[in-house]
Amino acid sequence: MDLEGLPSETAMGLSGHIIRRLLLVIPMLIGVTLLTFVVSHLVPTNPIVIIVGEKALDKPDIVNAAIEKWGLDKSLPEQYLVYLWNLARGDLGTSFKTKRPVAQDLKDFLPATIELAFASMLFALVVGLPLGILAAIKSGSWVDHLSRLVSLLGASMPPFWSGLMVLFLFYYKLQILPGPGRIDTRLTAPPTATGLYLVDALLRGDTQAFGNSLQHLILPSIVLGWFTLALICRITRASLLEVLRMDYIRTARAKGLRERTVVLVHAMRNAFIPTLTVLGLAFAGLMTGAIMTETIFAWPGIGRYAVESAANLDYPAVLGTTLLIAVIYILVNLLVDILYGVLDPRIRE
Amino acid sequence: MKATRLLFALFVVAVLGLNLVGCGAPATTAPPTSAPAPAQPTAAPAQPTAAPPKPTAVPPTATSAPPPTLVMVMNLDDVVTLDPDQAYETTNLMIHNSTYDTLVEFKAGDLTKVTPRLADKWEISPDGLNYTFTLHPGVKFASGNPVTAEDVRFSWTRLKNLKGNPSFYADVITTVQALNDTTVKVTLTDPSPAFLSIVAAPALSVLDSKLVKSKGGTDAADADKTDKAKDWLDQNSAGSGPFVQTSWKPKAEIVLEANPNSWRGKPKLGKVIIKHVADPTTALQMLQRGDADLVESLDPDLVEQAKADANLNVVIGQTLDQNYLAMTSSAALSKPLSDKRVRQAVALSIDYDGLIKALLRGYGSRAPSIIPLGVLGVDPKMTQGRDLTKAKALLKEAGYENGFTVELAYGSNPTRETIAAKIKNDLKEAGITANLKPMEQSVYLTDMRAQKLSMAFGGWTPDYLDPTMWTDYFSYADRGIAKRMLYNNPEAEKYAKIVGTELDLAKREQAIKDLQKVLMDDMAFTMLYQNQSIAAMSKSVKGFAYHPVNFVSFSDLSK
Repeated sequence: MDLEGLPSETAMGLSGHIIRRLLLVIPMLIGVTLLTFVVSHLVPTNPIVIIVGEKALDKPDIVNAAIEKWGLDKSLPEQYLVYLWNLARGDLGTSFKTKRPVAQDLKDFLPATIELAFASMLFALVVGLPLGILAAIKSGSWVDHLSRLVSLLGASMPPFWSGLMVLFLFYYKLQILPGPGRIDTRLTAPPTATGLYLVDALLRGDTQAFGNSLQHLILPSIVLGWFTLALICRITRASLLEVLRMDYIRTARAKGLRERTVVLVHAMRNAFIPTLTVLGLAFAGLMTGAIMTETIFAWPGIGRYAVESAANLDYPAVLGTTLLIAVIYILVNLLVDILYGVLDPRIRE
Repeated sequence: MKATRLLFALFVVAVLGLNLVGCGAPATTAPPTSAPAPAQPTAAPAQPTAAPPKPTAVPPTATSAPPPTLVMVMNLDDVVTLDPDQAYETTNLMIHNSTYDTLVEFKAGDLTKVTPRLADKWEISPDGLNYTFTLHPGVKFASGNPVTAEDVRFSWTRLKNLKGNPSFYADVITTVQALNDTTVKVTLTDPSPAFLSIVAAPALSVLDSKLVKSKGGTDAADADKTDKAKDWLDQNSAGSGPFVQTSWKPKAEIVLEANPNSWRGKPKLGKVIIKHVADPTTALQMLQRGDADLVESLDPDLVEQAKADANLNVVIGQTLDQNYLAMTSSAALSKPLSDKRVRQAVALSIDYDGLIKALLRGYGSRAPSIIPLGVLGVDPKMTQGRDLTKAKALLKEAGYENGFTVELAYGSNPTRETIAAKIKNDLKEAGITANLKPMEQSVYLTDMRAQKLSMAFGGWTPDYLDPTMWTDYFSYADRGIAKRMLYNNPEAEKYAKIVGTELDLAKREQAIKDLQKVLMDDMAFTMLYQNQSIAAMSKSVKGFAYHPVNFVSFSDLSK
């Protein structure tokens, strides 16, 4: 996986490829904003009601101040161009509901989501990958059946149900894991530096806060990561089974290589490509699709912010979160593309 | 197959490792999670007695245990700002009541009597246009700055000039003058017996003007563009209340600490941590496990479970929140509904008790008219329930023996869908066909304001504790819900005017009684139900009294 070992031409090609892909992000984002803008304005609604509330509607002073502040007297195309112009300057607008800059809101809610997404991904990988590999090489055995059961459960249990169940069992009944929230109710969260509690606690040398927030991550990351685990496990099993039937594997075995080397080095390098595709999409999904888990575990993340913005028809917030999600997807896909090239040099050409 | 074995071992290690993180971590760091959560509350007061050196070192002041911390769980999603001059949601009222002082207040238990708070006394000019408040002398803000009449002037002027959602509270105020350090004179646009109730609203809290100005705050006419104090006031408080706000993490938590300069006695709690938990079942579990001490608003479905727990107390309170059904008086919108007998028939067809039982497990009440229980002059004995025979007779009398069809509009949410289905079924039994029209809330309000709806239902919550919150909005043909539903009866307006201008309490009460009769006869609005609040708390929590506006007064609580 060392890029340094590549011939310089290929490296050039790769960086050129990355630059091209990054430049493509701009038109994609404009497309995303246009689409979101149009769709959200197709909904018949009155933003003024959302901004000033029911009772202030009869106060012309307040209503006019709001219309002016949010530029609602302008035509829709004009509003869109103003939005783009502000966006170009890094201004995502002001939320109707929180009356705060959307960028500020996103900055506040993103770290909790990132922390949970990474923990879930880690759980899914650490359990899903070995389980998938084992299921493939021991296909038909009890390990295979176990992996099928685990995957089936992960794919079929909705988080709003499994979340409540694990809380009931591990928090309320067995009392071995902490309840909702990112840290115990009576503990003080570490002062915000990155917003990631684990990192902030470490920066402070606060081992108690670190240990506690780590424990608080266990249940939500299992609930959220289980579905991804199921995906990783099944895809790894399927693609590894296919690769293991190939001629070059037989050659490797005939050469007298150890089975471990055959599976982990020769077969997995190829079998990992489909898994990687799923991983990329799943990770982006974890970053944005954690609404139920965030609600049940009182996790102040981007998922809850997105849903409430949509429910309140808070356009600036909806546009802001959509943009953020789009950027995450684009970047993760780009990363996956680069990794393809690392795993399979043929793709680079 | 060595490799397989190795892989299997790897897998086992991975799974076990994960489990170890899961189960092992609590064991190694046991003190932080499992132990202290339930233990802390009881241990905290006990510990200091076992460790006496402190009291000897720090003489008379700190003789007792460090004041306890109270953890309350609730839904904090509504909080969007904690600047008292800009917030117009629900949770902020409870926070501001604890971090700021108003000049007067309503104590839990009697919502009809204004009592002094920052102001010791007040005088009202005979024409009812001028109010002169005398502030309690020697009061200091948490910052140490003295509370002066100038702070009152600054706060109320800032509220008005920010042109934010709560600015309408200051509409009735023309000028605020600081006559000297402790005397404030307010001139009103019109005489208003509601003014003292407005003054008691947390939006009229007194802010530390020196501190707020140093954080970019201003009360200038263009404050809506130039004031920069909101970000600071979101995270801190600038008041003289019993607590100071030390942090707010949106959608996660709000932390209050006892105000060292508290002038009405030191609060018994040292710290209040309010945590966001949206799921009601989880909230109760946290209470039962000791991670929380108080759940202010328990789901009716969980009351039995909470009552069954010997460690918990359940306290029921009466809110002023209600859901009502409104019917147009306009023949152009609905010929049948423009006849008051038909409106009465509709009101008599609804099975309110069934609705309250199904939706709220019985934790709801009803008042005779749209004016809720708890307000001056409201007598629950006058409340009429369902009477299908009478309803059918009225329909026959009005010429709608075979019923009629009407459209029932509402801003959709899961609760309202249940209500709508119930109303539809109940009306069906009287021969009335109600076609449901669920709408997006802002569209519903827009259509209602445009006077397009013939039958609609929604909720109503007061902004301040005065009968005019109902008598104005549901009686005047040119105001509020009455206007939106084209209700127009000069007699109702006559009584509403007395309620809105008469300073004599007895005359006001009589007018409210008379008005209720008119409203019940016209039946343009019928109250569907008035919510009750259900609070559950650990037995160690003492002093809880539900307040329909401030919810929980943390300064009254001890643990």
